Amino acid sequence: MLTLGEVHTGLLQNSGSLSLEHTTQLLDLQVGQRVRRSERPIAYVVSPDQLTGVDCRLPTGSGRGSRGVGTVVSHAAMTGGHVLQGSTYTQLDRAVSNRRLVWSHYLSRPGWVETIGKVDVRDVSRGFLGPTYQPQTLNLGAISARLMDAVQSSARLDRQPPFRTKRTRLRWSVVPSDEESAEARGTFRVESDTLRTLELTAPQRDVPALVELCEDLALHDWLLTTLLALMEASLTGPGTRAQKIDRLRPAIDCLLHLWMPAARLDESVLPVWRDLEHRPGFSRQWQTSVTRIRDQVTLSTIALLEAPSR
Amino acid sequence: MLIFAASDKGGTGRSVTSSNMLYRSALQGTDVCYLDFDFGSPTAGAIFNIDSVVHGTRRGGLHEYLDGALAEPQRIEVWTESDRPSLRNRPPGAGRLVLLPGSIGGGEFPTSRELVERCARLFLRLEEEFDLSLIDLSAGRSYATQMVLAATAMPELRSVRSRWLVFHRWTRQHVLAASGLVYGTRGILDAGARAGHDRDDMMNRLRFVRTAVVDPDSPELEGLQPAQLAWLRECNQDLLELASNNRVGRTMLLGSVPLDPVLQWREQLISDNDVYARRIANLETVEAFSALAKLIVDDAAWEML
Repeated sequence: MLTLGEVHTGLLQNSGSLSLEHTTQLLDLQVGQRVRRSERPIAYVVSPDQLTGVDCRLPTGSGRGSRGVGTVVSHAAMTGGHVLQGSTYTQLDRAVSNRRLVWSHYLSRPGWVETIGKVDVRDVSRGFLGPTYQPQTLNLGAISARLMDAVQSSARLDRQPPFRTKRTRLRWSVVPSDEESAEARGTFRVESDTLRTLELTAPQRDVPALVELCEDLALHDWLLTTLLALMEASLTGPGTRAQKIDRLRPAIDCLLHLWMPAARLDESVLPVWRDLEHRPGFSRQWQTSVTRIRDQVTLSTIALLEAPSR
Repeated sequence: MLIFAASDKGGTGRSVTSSNMLYRSALQGTDVCYLDFDFGSPTAGAIFNIDSVVHGTRRGGLHEYLDGALAEPQRIEVWTESDRPSLRNRPPGAGRLVLLPGSIGGGEFPTSRELVERCARLFLRLEEEFDLSLIDLSAGRSYATQMVLAATAMPELRSVRSRWLVFHRWTRQHVLAASGLVYGTRGILDAGARAGHDRDDMMNRLRFVRTAVVDPDSPELEGLQPAQLAWLRECNQDLLELASNNRVGRTMLLGSVPLDPVLQWREQLISDNDVYARRIANLETVEAFSALAKLIVDDAAWEML
């Protein structure tokens, strides 16, 4: 009926890129559960799913209170040994009964939150994505952030990252489309310098594919945001050209090779990426930025070659 | 890097000096944040001119976060949210300047295991984002001091660098009090050792900052009578001796900030506009803040002789 989720993306607190083997150990958060990993087209590792029980008010746009009880699913993911993500999502469904049931009932439906009382799907979606602060309501972001914190505080990491940067949050919701055969459509908004929202309308046959889409989008949005921030700090800051180029080094070392939009996505969600590539044009902005960085590096090389040798 | 700002007495200029230092640091291009851990009387909102949080926030401050009522404390971007025009708009090349305000009606609370863990988690998360996080502690031997000492002693924070600044005014009572706060029983070094820190290592990471210092040789004192000047010089000499006898002397000093009339009447950030255009603040004061901002990250200034 309605799917809600929030993905947080940030830089792994380690000096170098983590190998696939080490990443797998790092994300082995649950005993006896397998860590999923893939090497192509890019090193990608996902921790086993964790369930968190919730019983709380749901955010609404109208301010009307309604209660939800159930479980939410979360996992941590790492791309290229550098970028860490915490992702949490749940599906909402109307409860059969009007009171809270025993926990075994909710545990038998992992990843579902049942709403007690009448709920307007669009109202909840608006409240969840809206910018207003709603204390004491379902906070999926907090669970994603906690999961990331757990990974970041691991003793396997040296906590000497090549640069410092903020995490970004992508809050998303999927409202079911009226027709079963309709294409997935999405509206992406940049709400603040760290918060982005994605409002999807799609047939809800394949929730994992939609979750992967949101994680992929969050990853690329973070890459772009971080690259632009690094460029701004480097090119507008004081110093000689050599110093400016030096400040761009972390971008060249750990970001430029990670751009691979929609690499692992299911066919059914590709239309959303295609639209976003058309406008605002993620890859277009990325390519321009990469070219600009390379041009700066080239210019500085030329300057070095032309400098009279001492 | 985490920087803890402590003082034994209230009214030493700890908050105003540390926020000005942090502000200068941001202007130099560093990403910084300021945490108001003065739970009894949060004042950072006033210094940064954020009218909505002058005496703390109602929208979930540090107190509520540490208490476990919130997943994340409120953050205020000073460049966009300050109500003072000269602080608005980030100057080109400047870093981020973020304030984490305290809560209205917070008050001190005893340290518990969960509190220390939440505090450590907050430090780690800020460390991910900011070059400098300045934690402004309440005056004296406080629960806040115990909590941060316990948090920084946790294994997760072992590789995070932290430094301590102890602020005191340049008077007999303040010099003795600052010395007591650091070296005395249940002082910072004592409490640190009990929390699991190495005493010598703690001492290498701690320095004093003198505030509201009157320089007897300053040209501003020319109007004073010769007898008054002679007395000032004598006092200053006595203080220097007292300080070095109490291990608050030159080797443990990071910097001093001169007495500035602006800061005597109002706790605020001194902008370049206050110095050059309005000419209400002294250039020396701003230079002292800028120097402190550089020294705090300059490893050479922290080497032990």
